[in-house]
Amino acid sequence: MGFGVAIARADNTAPSAKPQAAAADNSPFAGAIEYAQKRTVKLIGAGAGREHGYASGIIVSEDGHILTAHGIYVTGDTNARLQIIMPDGRVYPATIERRSDAMQVVLLKIDAKTPEHFDLPTEPNVQKADWVLSVSNAFKVADRDEPLSVNMGIVSLRTEIDAKKRAQDVELEGDMLIIDAITSNPGAPGGALVTPDRKLAGMIGKIIESKSTNTRLNYAIPSDRLRQFVDGKDTPIVGVTPPASTGKAELGIRLFRLSGKRAPAYVDRVTTDSPAAKAGIQKDDLILAMAGEVVRSIKDFDDMLQQVRPGEEITVILKRKTEVLSVRLMPVAAVEE
Amino acid sequence: MRYLTLTLVALLLGGALLIADDANVAKPQADVAKPQAAVPKADPIGYWLAPKAFRAAVDKVLPSVVSIETYGGVTIPGGPAPKQPPNKGAPGKRPPARGMQGISRPGEGPTTGLIISEDGYIITSTFNFIRKPNIITVVLRDGSQHVAKLLGQDETRKICLLKIELPADRKLPVPELIDAGGMQVGQWSISVGVGYGDAEPAVSAGIISARNRISGKAIQTDANISPANYGGPLVDLDGKVIGICVPLSPQGGGAAAGVEWYDSGIGFAVPLHGLDRLIGQMKEGKSIQPGRMGVMPGPVAGGGKGVGVNTVQPKSGAEKAGLKKGDIITAIDGDEIQDALHLRSVLGRFIAGDTIKLAIKRGEEKLEIELTLDSGNPDVENPTLPPPAPKVEEKPLEKPVEKEEEKPAPEAPKEP
Repeated sequence: MGFGVAIARADNTAPSAKPQAAAADNSPFAGAIEYAQKRTVKLIGAGAGREHGYASGIIVSEDGHILTAHGIYVTGDTNARLQIIMPDGRVYPATIERRSDAMQVVLLKIDAKTPEHFDLPTEPNVQKADWVLSVSNAFKVADRDEPLSVNMGIVSLRTEIDAKKRAQDVELEGDMLIIDAITSNPGAPGGALVTPDRKLAGMIGKIIESKSTNTRLNYAIPSDRLRQFVDGKDTPIVGVTPPASTGKAELGIRLFRLSGKRAPAYVDRVTTDSPAAKAGIQKDDLILAMAGEVVRSIKDFDDMLQQVRPGEEITVILKRKTEVLSVRLMPVAAVEE
Repeated sequence: MRYLTLTLVALLLGGALLIADDANVAKPQADVAKPQAAVPKADPIGYWLAPKAFRAAVDKVLPSVVSIETYGGVTIPGGPAPKQPPNKGAPGKRPPARGMQGISRPGEGPTTGLIISEDGYIITSTFNFIRKPNIITVVLRDGSQHVAKLLGQDETRKICLLKIELPADRKLPVPELIDAGGMQVGQWSISVGVGYGDAEPAVSAGIISARNRISGKAIQTDANISPANYGGPLVDLDGKVIGICVPLSPQGGGAAAGVEWYDSGIGFAVPLHGLDRLIGQMKEGKSIQPGRMGVMPGPVAGGGKGVGVNTVQPKSGAEKAGLKKGDIITAIDGDEIQDALHLRSVLGRFIAGDTIKLAIKRGEEKLEIELTLDSGNPDVENPTLPPPAPKVEEKPLEKPVEKEEEKPAPEAPKEP
């Protein structure tokens, strides 16, 4: 949605009573924002080139555990300079405890008691269209003990995302929360995503682009998944690729390949008695989808074929003239040449 | 401002929801809340109920929202815009600015469309076919997939029409439209799109920012409008359709102009009211083009309102209407023209083929003339967007292309 919510400092200093009362009347979010600002930190480390050396982090235990998004500031030797600036302005050096490649998050530790921290839930605690507030140091606007910036939006969708960063694929696994507050900005990663009733919904993830839409993604790693990681219970999500020993599959389909890899997957020839022939696939059929994945091009078909295993039945969606057909097909083992 | 709209939500929702949702209304946690930071007692209940209203609105329009899959087509490279040879494409149509290409490319995911008739007409955005796909299919909410035919498009609104063939007894759910003129700046608007590839659409909420944008063709909203929902509906709290989400830019430009604004808080939707004539033309396969007079505007000698005619292009509507160099255009269809920018904005309300009434000053003489706008390019009066109908004999018989990945987007093909 993209509103910045301007919040006056609500802690320790003594503002005049009048503006305080006005703020309380107009913003039912004020309490949640103040709550989150006390549990979200600024993070300063080394930058390099276009990679920003600053971010945000959330306090997730009473003994100094802080979660942040993966970035240059926690890479390799540079973490020697990693500093955490607490909401009250105190500065601590941080050490790295653990990383999760699947979520691209890092667990940090500072040598301090942190009684004010977020509780990580075991179950998802937001649904689509719920209000969420992002609290982060986007663009490093806040300095030292200045309160972090807040943006308001709703949960757009909880889904898996196909991500990339500057044309490189980013292997993010599992569900993420796509939100409509704009958080895909330097400094925001590691920030808190909270609900108006002070629940931690997630943590803003590192800056990536969606392969689906080719746009920057405003998203957060759901807090229930963060809990699994912090508890050490995040089982690495195994890809769909079974052991290689099961061998390559053969369908008996030859595609029309003269138009390049980006061309649609038209069937040029069907081998006699092959699985494709038995399933009734014909020359000039266009393959639209295979094993639940959309096949937009010959390249997609080739990629999908790698995932198909002999003896495991798949569904193939075909376009024949103006009809869309669905056929079941039992792949056989490919003959090694 | 938000407080006002949210209070309005509460009023609209009435008491029933209020009671039903009472249990869900958040309570402050006593242990952390200082007195002045506590959620106030006079809590605007609309804040808490709005998400429920958003979900209800989405559920209402969802049966009419479709996923569009495209197959084949050109690869649009990233990086700087491809150089366009001069004199190709429609005159005045500038290539996208350098550096914009990175985000003006469509992604790999499905795109969104909206059913507008029981018999299978679907409206969507031309952005979704920038790749000029060979085949288009539409997946309905029941999961069934249908081959779609791309009919005409309106290049001034970035919308186009698809048609799927259905058995005669199959009736598609048509969404309700908002009442014409029944929309207010500041009211809630919710965008719906399937671009992230999930079975469920993504939802974004915001308010109507302005009504008459881009020469009155679009509504502006601060709900996120992006490739994730181009072609999808923008709805009100009742799930009634306000418009179709599209990329638009007041500066015009190419098929992807306006995409660069996707995260800026500025988004556009084209209302469907009053589009019957255009939809009729699109059903016939026509390409609706911006209307051009065929004059180069200049300043008015001695200052003053209006637009001076610097040159009149040969064979243009202006020449046919008898417009001459040195004439001053003072009004179009009764609207006084202030300057050249204003002229462009007023012309933006019309399309090629429309006839407008010009008030002009020629010396001391005041004249009224009628002028028929054209597109400035006879080649593009018919669809520029292949692929036409999935033909029975269709085959992907293009010349083998070796380095296709590096090939820039080709020009729109000429009519055969």
